[in-house]
Amino acid sequence: GTQIRSCKDEVFLLQQPLAQRLKQICSKHDMEEPSKEFSALLSHAVQERLKTVIEKLSVIAEHRIDIIKN
Amino acid sequence: PAPSLPSESLTPVVNRSRLTELVREVDPNEQLDEEVEEALLAIADDFIESSVNAACRLAKHRGARTLDVRDLHMYLERSWHMWIPGFGTEELRP
Repeated sequence: GTQIRSCKDEVFLLQQPLAQRLKQICSKHDMEEPSKEFSALLSHAVQERLKTVIEKLSVIAEHRIDIIKN
Repeated sequence: PAPSLPSESLTPVVNRSRLTELVREVDPNEQLDEEVEEALLAIADDFIESSVNAACRLAKHRGARTLDVRDLHMYLERSWHMWIPGFGTEELRP
């Protein structure tokens, strides 16, 4: 068959606290707790979101330093 | 059964080392202030809150009682223009 090479999916968020959050929000909506796949996707999304913010901050910080230098 | 924790004593979903790692990925020379770290944590929390709430609403709308990856996908794509491959799609995946 087809051989798939891949690396292990690393989960960014801490599993225990994330599960706790999910449980809390889901119970508010009277929903069952979501699958592992759901929390993995959420974890990736949070990582992406934070990365975008950090990238923006990094650019801003660089400009700030430049102003002080001159 | 595990004792239920009061909502105030929530442990952060990201710890310092993971945040630092992420910052290094963006810029190896960047340093992170403690206040910035807290702000990032707050952003992460808000993001989780709004995403899961939205996903719950979407799941209810299709008459389901369990959250599906699709619900989250739809919210991420529509509200954040975020597409994370490899989840709940028909594509080949490991």
